[in-house]
Amino acid sequence: MRLSEQALEQAKAVGATDDVAELKLAEEKLERARSNMLSESFRDARMRAEQSELDARLAEAKVLTLKSQEQLTLLQSRVDRLRKQLGEQR
Amino acid sequence: MSSIKPLAVLAIAGVLGLQGCASQRSEEALDQASTAFQSVKDDSNVLRSAPRDVIRAGESLAKAERLASYWGTGSDVRHYAYLSQRYSQIAREHSNLVLNQERQAKLELERQRLQLALREAKLASVQQQGKWLEEQIVSLATNDTDRGLVMTLGDVLFDTGEAELKSSASRTVLKLVQFLQLNPKRVVRIEGYTDSTGNPDDNLKLSRDRAQSVADMLVDLGVDEKRIKVIGYGDQYPVEANASERGRAQNRRVEIVFSDEKGRLGAER
Repeated sequence: MRLSEQALEQAKAVGATDDVAELKLAEEKLERARSNMLSESFRDARMRAEQSELDARLAEAKVLTLKSQEQLTLLQSRVDRLRKQLGEQR
Repeated sequence: MSSIKPLAVLAIAGVLGLQGCASQRSEEALDQASTAFQSVKDDSNVLRSAPRDVIRAGESLAKAERLASYWGTGSDVRHYAYLSQRYSQIAREHSNLVLNQERQAKLELERQRLQLALREAKLASVQQQGKWLEEQIVSLATNDTDRGLVMTLGDVLFDTGEAELKSSASRTVLKLVQFLQLNPKRVVRIEGYTDSTGNPDDNLKLSRDRAQSVADMLVDLGVDEKRIKVIGYGDQYPVEANASERGRAQNRRVEIVFSDEKGRLGAER
């Protein structure tokens, strides 16, 4: 449970929101894990918490990849612009 | 990497040998997890950037396979298949991230190289432009042995008796401004002249006003005032005899005297 909470916090720290499907899943599963704990369904609670942790970690990884993709696209467009300018210069 | 291979073999053996006992849903989950694991374990980029997640994907998959050989373990099978698939996906994302970062580093170097090339190209073009302008100015000017480079703006740029510069002067003045911007050390003396019509005092004032209006335009276009001297000579120093209209027209003029490249201006007349 603790691990899932940490993974969720970390995913949000890098900018994951509910728009990322995996983050929403992670939150829902953590909620259900908590209520499983209350009703003493410990096995269900453990499984939900484990899944929630990996959902959150995947959400985090996806956000990081997406961000790096955006940076890459921006950089590529700058390089393209430089090439074009150089082409015009010659 | 060597620690992954045996796991993979184990996992494949599991898929082949034990699938029979799993329910339809569990089988689907196992298939998906196994496919995901196959794609990451055979990808050297993924192995390089996320080895631990690949190992965990394999371990979870093996666990799911093992559980699938027992009855009544459907939810556990699906759980570990789920975890395995997630580990594979996370490994894939990490790998994509690392690949992006590597591409980014390469592009950054490429960008720096291009920026340098562009700066050099622009510099060359500015130098070329400067040379071209210099030629233009020189072609508009004459080299007077005593006074240095002198450019004459003829009376077509002024209406008779008027000191205001006509708009047809803009092109020449603009060239002058560019030339001065490209040669920041050069300074100019703007000298006004008139023909001999009218009285000398008025002519002196008119010649000064004409020179001043050229100077004003240069200042308006960004040339530092300190680089410009203005002087009026009235009807002195005619270039032609004032007897004919043609001669008088030639005498109504503004001359721009350029300093040398170091800012040294020839003496006044």
